Amino acid sequence: MTGLIIASILAPFLGGLLVLVIPRAWIKLFSQAVALAAAACSLLLLISFASAGKTPATVNLISLGNTVVFGLVIDRLSVLIGLAFILVGFLIVVYSTGYLSDKNREHPEKEVERRYYFFLLCFIGSMAGVVYASTMLGMLIFFELTGVCSWGLIGYYDNEKARKAALKAIIVTQAASIGLYAATAYFFAVTRSLQLSEMAGLTESAKTVIFLGVLIAGFGKSAQLPFHFWLPDAMVAPTPISAYLHAASMVKVGVYIFARCLGSANGAPKIIGVIGCVCAIATMIYGFIMYFPQKDLKKLLAYSTIAQLSYIFFALSLSVFGSTLAFNGAVAHIFNHAFAKGLFFLVAGALSYTTGTRMLPSLRGVLAKMPLVGASFAVAALAVTGVPPFNCFFSKFTIFAGGFEAAKTEPLLLILVIIAMFESIGSFAWLFWIFSSTVPGEPSEEVASATALAPSMQAVLIALAGLTLVSGFFAANWIG
Amino acid sequence: MYTNYLSWLLLAPILLSLAAFSARWAGKLAMRVAEVLHFITILVVLILGLLVIQGVLVEGSVVALNDWLHVDALAAVFLLIVCVVGFLVGIYSIGYIRNDVRTGELQADQVSTYYGLFDLFLFTMVLVVTANNIIMMWVAIEATTLGSTFLVGIYGHRSSLEAAWKYVIICTVGVAFALYGTVLVYSDAVNFLQRPEAAVLWTEIVKNARALDPTLLKLAFVFILIGFGTKAGIFPMHAWLPDAHSEAPSPVSALLSGVLLNCALLVIIRFAIILEQGIGPEFPQMIFLIFGSLSVVAAALFIFVQRDIKRLLAYSSVENIGLIVLAFGIGGPAGILAALLHTINHSLVKALMFCTSGNILVKYHTRDLSKIKGMLQVAPFTSFVLLVGTLALIGSPPFNIFISKFSIFSAGFFSGFPLLMVVLLLFLAIVFAAFMKMASSAVFGSLPENITKGDVRISMLAPIAVLVILVLALGLYLPPQISMLLNQAALISIHGNAAADASISLLNFSNSELPIAFLQFAQLFGR
Repeated sequence: MTGLIIASILAPFLGGLLVLVIPRAWIKLFSQAVALAAAACSLLLLISFASAGKTPATVNLISLGNTVVFGLVIDRLSVLIGLAFILVGFLIVVYSTGYLSDKNREHPEKEVERRYYFFLLCFIGSMAGVVYASTMLGMLIFFELTGVCSWGLIGYYDNEKARKAALKAIIVTQAASIGLYAATAYFFAVTRSLQLSEMAGLTESAKTVIFLGVLIAGFGKSAQLPFHFWLPDAMVAPTPISAYLHAASMVKVGVYIFARCLGSANGAPKIIGVIGCVCAIATMIYGFIMYFPQKDLKKLLAYSTIAQLSYIFFALSLSVFGSTLAFNGAVAHIFNHAFAKGLFFLVAGALSYTTGTRMLPSLRGVLAKMPLVGASFAVAALAVTGVPPFNCFFSKFTIFAGGFEAAKTEPLLLILVIIAMFESIGSFAWLFWIFSSTVPGEPSEEVASATALAPSMQAVLIALAGLTLVSGFFAANWIG
Repeated sequence: MYTNYLSWLLLAPILLSLAAFSARWAGKLAMRVAEVLHFITILVVLILGLLVIQGVLVEGSVVALNDWLHVDALAAVFLLIVCVVGFLVGIYSIGYIRNDVRTGELQADQVSTYYGLFDLFLFTMVLVVTANNIIMMWVAIEATTLGSTFLVGIYGHRSSLEAAWKYVIICTVGVAFALYGTVLVYSDAVNFLQRPEAAVLWTEIVKNARALDPTLLKLAFVFILIGFGTKAGIFPMHAWLPDAHSEAPSPVSALLSGVLLNCALLVIIRFAIILEQGIGPEFPQMIFLIFGSLSVVAAALFIFVQRDIKRLLAYSSVENIGLIVLAFGIGGPAGILAALLHTINHSLVKALMFCTSGNILVKYHTRDLSKIKGMLQVAPFTSFVLLVGTLALIGSPPFNIFISKFSIFSAGFFSGFPLLMVVLLLFLAIVFAAFMKMASSAVFGSLPENITKGDVRISMLAPIAVLVILVLALGLYLPPQISMLLNQAALISIHGNAAADASISLLNFSNSELPIAFLQFAQLFGR
């Protein structure tokens, strides 16, 4: 299993480097092959882990003296999330080969750009690194690398706005990453070890310091208040990149490291739970309010992501009060949301690819003109808002159940859980309204003149829609 | 045998430098002759320097000239920087100066002067790191000023002459303070040492440091810190540095920033060791902590408002020297190892960045960041290097500075300065933002007019490529020779000498306060 993990981390990096030198004509095919290999490795890992009885293990790769500096962790959390991140990464690469072409009506591309595939592949590798790292230092290194990759990709179109957004993204997330930096250094100073497993034996006060650092870094990466403002601007990225940023990379790093530390520490001090819950609910409300003025489909989705990540933070913080259900729900939601939000963004990308716009007022009658895109839109909207039988329903349901469980010991939490439920209902109503004004009906001028969707993009939409249907069951089974 | 190498290490560059000066009378061949002599100089310094370092690894220390020259592990770390960075920057110089001659920035007959001064400068820095005589340390530092001033002003523009003038005045005045401190230490030591002539030798003073007068020592140290601190670019004595670094030819900036600052720092450390042996580490550590933190904070704020790429890099040097001083202030094996590692890493990265800024200057004829745009289209390799250098400089993994910066901050947390560390991290975030902004506006963006596409010549790219490889390689793996040097150098900093108890290795955990995991970090992918 170790070999599979190392392959899924290293293959994208090496592939990314090779992209810089191989002939341009091969880049698209080669990148897909590399990403496929990584995804296959993570899938094989999942299968062999499951067949071996799901016993968690830690492999120390690089250690000197008594200090393990880098290692891999193989448990339910890392195996499941690793698969989601790498698999979505692969689908994004496939989609990109279609999207970044001269047929794109919004942003036609004449030439294959090396740096795009370089950064994208490195991004996939870094994500794998974050997920499988068993040491604080390993996590920190890959955490920082994801920032650099996202910088390269958000600024891809290389205009004033894109450069600004890219700069904003990296500066904000890196400023927040000071939290993780300090937490790692502090952790090392206290335990003289870098292994996350050492966290369980720490004193409450030491845990508080470390978790505060992790929370700050997590809030930055996952675009929570007060670090949220980089994410809506990052929309200037090519849409497949936005999809990856929102679904299975950048923003998921924050929640993942929090989940990983919570898992390693066997629970955190109560105060961390309180801070996490309150901040999450505040962000959730903010994200919800910001739905209404949005005209750009991608911006709307950005605020939806912010709110969805608050759910995950909320659930993880609830688990501090002793609710395993909430923790499981959060992990499942990381997994499920990856597919649903990925699909939603790729639908937005498909619309701008075919019609040249993604402004909501000019999009009408998508279903009539493009059945596949319209149907995918429906699946994504229903899934993201948590309608059964789509995946997010299961994880949201678990989160709320966990909330009520936690509220038994801390009655005040009940208020927060109820606020979250209202948000859930409200966002369902709003997205449904958007859906009903966009998808059915007579095609508008822009939609009527739509061009055909590239086959690779169609395939990815179908695949993601399928995954959105099944992933909920799978995640529930896997964790439960 | 190693003694001979050490003597030649000093003799060869000064003779060759004189030869390079006199190459101007070689008529039409003047430039070529000077270049050849220059190449021989840097090569000889590299080879002899590495041989001397090998001697240190084998024998513990190398001495020459009646103990006036003394290279121990601590000096060897800095000697390594001098000869490796000196060599690479020296090679880069050849391409850069040829370009200057082609574009008429320099006259052909100035070239021999340039190389003569360059090699003289190199010699003075070798002298600083190998000196054992404390008065000679002072003389050597003063000599570096004289050697490099003319290099700073070589273009003869109004601004470069002003920078050179500022440099020479501030540094000479500053270093005069250091002379006072040095004389204080000497006059105190001469009172009780049996051989009066031994009172100028650092090794002898350290052995008898306990006999020195504590008050005098403290007083002397303050003078020395202000004096040599001026040269090392510690805030608030750094005023000469941004001007000199930005006006000098880029290879000279690389040498000033990557090597010279460290040399001055070494002398300060030498005196700090005397203090630590005499009156304990608290006083120098406190001073180091204060000046180190101030430098980082002030430099971070200055960095944020710079619009000139070389001034930006110059302030970054102040920041990094501040970090090194801070790490010495944190002290303990962890802090000192982190400081030494950061010294090596910073000088490589800074040399890389200044050489890259030289390439930018060649293409754009300006240092103004608002005019440097679209490098990706103009000079793909240079822009790639600029990105790598920037990421390395701000401490992004997998480059070398990540490891040393992380080590410094871990040491700080370990030694009980968590709050200070967090505050400094916030200021480093400002530096991070400023550098990312610089890189993204320079590398991307639309091309300005009147710029011919195409990268600079290979002679100006090859040395940079080597630096990039070193920067990346040291981020992933630290050769055992270097880690052994660092280990012994840290021992010297703590105990005054490595030979006395060589059996106590810092890597042997039982005797030290902290497992030296920092070195292990550095060896990340080593074994």
